Amino acid sequence: MKKVWRQPLFVTGFTIIFLLLAGSFVYEWVFGNDPKQTQWIEENGRPVESWPISPRFESPVHIFGTDQLGYDLFTKIIIGAKYTILSAMAIAALRMIIAVPIGFFIGTTLRKYRPVINSLIDPIHYMPITIFAFFILYPILWMPMEGFTTTLTERIVLEIVILSLLTAPIVIALVANESSLLYKQEYIMASKTLGARNGRIIVKHLLPQMREKLFVLYGQQLVETLVLFTHLGMLQLFLGGTKVSYGLMADPPMSISYEWAGLFGDTFRYLGGAPWLPLTPAIFFAILIFAVSAMMEGFTRATNDLVKVKRRKGVTSMSEEIVEWNREQLREKMTLLKSGQR
Amino acid sequence: MKSLGKWLMQLLISIVAIFVMSGLPIIIAGLQQKQWLFKEAYESVVQAVKNLFPLKEYVFKYDQGWAGIKEYTYENTLSNYVEYSLQILVLSLATAIILSIAGTFVTMLFKDKTRQRIKMTFYFLESMPDVLVIVLAQLAIITIFKQTGVLLSKIAVIQDERIYWLPVFCLMILPMIQLYRLSMLTFEAEERKLYVEFARSLGFGKLVILFFHIFRNAIVSVFFQSKKTMWFMLSNLFILELMFNMPGIMNFLADHINTEVFLLTVFVFFVPVFILYSIGEWYFLRRVNKGGVSI
Repeated sequence: MKKVWRQPLFVTGFTIIFLLLAGSFVYEWVFGNDPKQTQWIEENGRPVESWPISPRFESPVHIFGTDQLGYDLFTKIIIGAKYTILSAMAIAALRMIIAVPIGFFIGTTLRKYRPVINSLIDPIHYMPITIFAFFILYPILWMPMEGFTTTLTERIVLEIVILSLLTAPIVIALVANESSLLYKQEYIMASKTLGARNGRIIVKHLLPQMREKLFVLYGQQLVETLVLFTHLGMLQLFLGGTKVSYGLMADPPMSISYEWAGLFGDTFRYLGGAPWLPLTPAIFFAILIFAVSAMMEGFTRATNDLVKVKRRKGVTSMSEEIVEWNREQLREKMTLLKSGQR
Repeated sequence: MKSLGKWLMQLLISIVAIFVMSGLPIIIAGLQQKQWLFKEAYESVVQAVKNLFPLKEYVFKYDQGWAGIKEYTYENTLSNYVEYSLQILVLSLATAIILSIAGTFVTMLFKDKTRQRIKMTFYFLESMPDVLVIVLAQLAIITIFKQTGVLLSKIAVIQDERIYWLPVFCLMILPMIQLYRLSMLTFEAEERKLYVEFARSLGFGKLVILFFHIFRNAIVSVFFQSKKTMWFMLSNLFILELMFNMPGIMNFLADHINTEVFLLTVFVFFVPVFILYSIGEWYFLRRVNKGGVSI
């Protein structure tokens, strides 16, 4: 595990995520949960720009501009970081907690039925998961006309559970396939001969063998969850619920926390006039996903050094001269063949 | 015969699973009021299926509140939406496959070190969320329009107009990168095998080996692993239709959320893709068993 910290990619990814999370908590602790507001910008005593203020670096500084009510966008992103990152992590973690034991069970005890189970899980790939998430979460997250009957915590818990259950079968299939491959290894057969039961094999052999793969799988789930968040944000289903005001003078749907998917979905319609509004949360999503991918890549590199050795082999084992000589020979034979045909 | 039975069972269980999913919102809505509405959910799904058949005469009635009830017939409206969505999906899929395979061929001709660098770049390009791709594409169109006055493509559709090249471009770009990385990995794994070395030592050219030997073996493995890309594309299409306000069935569902439209949308995509992959699997498995190609 120590080698991981020597991988620049892993460290880069970790630093980005750590900074975002730490910044989010520290900001809340020091300044509270309110971003600063600038109503308009004056030049020579005359207002020149009102909200939404475009990105500017002079005082008052708004690196990513302000939103349609004059609140600083970067601050909103920082405040929302903890909700976004932690809930995505929770969903991915819950998915793993559900899927890994079931996957191991199918990969060992139910090994016989694995092809059947696989073929049943497979068709999930042909169903658009965002549509399912949208359809099932809609009654929970979209505020009905008479207001929410559930509390914020209830809604968040329900959302996390549903989003993790939705794609858990695919993770189960992955873990099951991997563990049933390992199950055929000789040392596991040996330990079976010595009387080990499946439970012991899982804990003592499969789990340590697959620890690295499970880590990468967790990273993939995290990325998938983040992408699903952006989709749900675009569909105006925000983490913890969407506040809707009904009636003729209705405000647009609003996100309750400053979570990024909400910031994006809220402001997509301003793309033409104030492009920084939807672009900033989208870019931060990209940075976050990049960080997770970098961590995964760094981790893989640290754990298997074998890859490099393999690559060199085979390709360079033959000298160019031999290849060239053979090529000459082939060419000659071909010409002979051709002239023979005539 | 046995595999046909298995296939039918697979199809049947998937359909049942979709029905169960379509009943879930009612159960969840009931849960929020601390009630178990299993019966209501079952009845609503059965009712929805009954309404949907026969499809030709299906009419979706949407209650707009004070504006009255609007009717959408399948024959005149919904079928056009379905057709457009499927067109975009198929076009993007085809472009993604062709470009990724062509890209793989070109990269395979490079040296090892260059290849590693290209692969790394694409690995991180893959981490771009699809919404960012669409936002950037739309912004580019707006900027070009503001600078030169040339509108390359419409970025938001009014009513039932159909736009093609920009949505197809946005939808195909990430799947293309995924497929490209996937086929690069399989091609490289294949390249290390003995038969390639043998062919090389016999003096066959790089392109010949690539096309007649490696490609034919690698494509099987790429096909079996491409399911994830398909899965990703289907979700991506939903968001794409929404962001371009395209007259497709998925955009229609987002505006008119309802069990019947949900079932129609899911099946419209599920059935063709399922059949496509079943045929592909059957064909490739037969080839593998017969010809001694290894996965």
